[in-house]
Amino acid sequence: MKDATVDVPAIELRGIRKTFALSDDENAQRVLALDGIDLSIRQGEFLTIIGPSGCGKTTLLRIIASLILPDDGEVMVEGETVREPGLKRAMVFQTFGLFPWKTVIDNVMFPLQVRNEPAETARETAMHHIRQVGLDRFVDAYPHQLSGGMQQRVGLARALSTGADILLMDEPFGAIDAQTRELMQEELMRIWQEEQKTVVFITHDLDEAVLLADRVLLMSRGPGRVRETIPVELPRPRFDYDVRGHEGFAKVRGHLWQALRNDLVEQRAEETS
Amino acid sequence: MSARSRKDVRRDQLIGVAVFLVLWEVTARALDNPLTMPPISAILAALLDLILSGELFLALGQSIFLLIVGLIAATVIGFVFGALIARSQTAYWMLNPYFSALFVTPTIALVPLVLVWFGFGFPGRVIVVVLAAVVPILFSVASGLRDAPGDLIDVARSFGVKGEIPLLFTVRIRAALPVLMAGLRLAAGRGVVGMAVAETYLRLGGIGGLIKSYGAMFQTDYVFASILPLSLLGIGLVTLIARVERRLHWT
Repeated sequence: MKDATVDVPAIELRGIRKTFALSDDENAQRVLALDGIDLSIRQGEFLTIIGPSGCGKTTLLRIIASLILPDDGEVMVEGETVREPGLKRAMVFQTFGLFPWKTVIDNVMFPLQVRNEPAETARETAMHHIRQVGLDRFVDAYPHQLSGGMQQRVGLARALSTGADILLMDEPFGAIDAQTRELMQEELMRIWQEEQKTVVFITHDLDEAVLLADRVLLMSRGPGRVRETIPVELPRPRFDYDVRGHEGFAKVRGHLWQALRNDLVEQRAEETS
Repeated sequence: MSARSRKDVRRDQLIGVAVFLVLWEVTARALDNPLTMPPISAILAALLDLILSGELFLALGQSIFLLIVGLIAATVIGFVFGALIARSQTAYWMLNPYFSALFVTPTIALVPLVLVWFGFGFPGRVIVVVLAAVVPILFSVASGLRDAPGDLIDVARSFGVKGEIPLLFTVRIRAALPVLMAGLRLAAGRGVVGMAVAETYLRLGGIGGLIKSYGAMFQTDYVFASILPLSLLGIGLVTLIARVERRLHWT
């Protein structure tokens, strides 16, 4: 089965265009947030998306998740056009998105309960992924009893429990302190390699973008467009050596920073003129 | 002031009650006028009589039944209108003045209208309780549902919850529950007042009826003996709801 579909992209975006109204008024002025995004993401690829704030990264991810619909263009998941959230995609949220009234296990079981899976198998699946992220001692804890890093592990376990092939991650480690973030990145790499998922990962952290990615997508703003995509061909597993000291790392990072910086300078010029 | 342990608080409360009762008893005996101020001993004797004759439990049963039916009706009505004004700005601006007016109008002022519209039977009495209790429920439903955390709605949608009604039940109501319970607690207090009003001013019945009829006979000791269970009923109900409320909080 898998072999027959291996050439189909996990995700394909065709001419995605999205505008937002500036107010609730029907005739209100609209701003163009995304303009003609075309993108193809390989199965099993780790794609990071980076860009200046306001470039529409999160909007793009929400469109891929079908939480919002584009004005024009289509989103295809494994070759099929999608218009609502589905089982092949699972999302990890920036502010974790855990239900504060549910325990860890109930949060992780939530997607399975929505699908009416029998309680027993749902529990087993959830436990498996809670162990995978190393939280088996906190199964019955409530989110407010956990640190930010632990809460995001729950978020990750919940996304994994769906069995989706595609993980959509919206700045998942943005709200986590720097040291914990490094551990989480390493762990995410390990899980990604174990589970062979396709990952779309939004970040505003250059190091993180390069460190994790097979390919970095750089967006520009006003309106959001794909500026370029840059392959990252650093050897894996990347946490076994000093990847930041690797020549290739510095090269990609430097290139991205130049491009981002140009965008920021332009933006500043616009704002002050 | 330093924090007090539960035990200390209990002790202080007990001492307070004892001092109060002793002062009352001494003053009442000195005044020697059971019409204005019966001694505690007489009140307790009256209470015992009400209990032994079965009169108190019959009245209490009627009152609790009225209160519960009234609060359930208030909850249902409050939920429907609260959800409506949470969803629709138009409905909010149209209806809000009436709810605000109802909130500040003493229930007793509406009794004559209830009497002519609904009669003095059980439905009329339930309506008095609803009028007293519905607004806090309605407002708490409205604010609880309006402030539903958008990010959790997204979470639920992304994992396959589809449509407004399922979202209402999986996220919105649960997220609003602590606020709803606070509204219900307020409503219960006001409901007890509404219940007493209905029982004394529509048709005599329940605890309110006891108070009113003993008052009419100038048996002040029996009046006090009837007020006591009424207060206890109110306190008990509010405490019970507060307890549920604490369990529903997640921090």
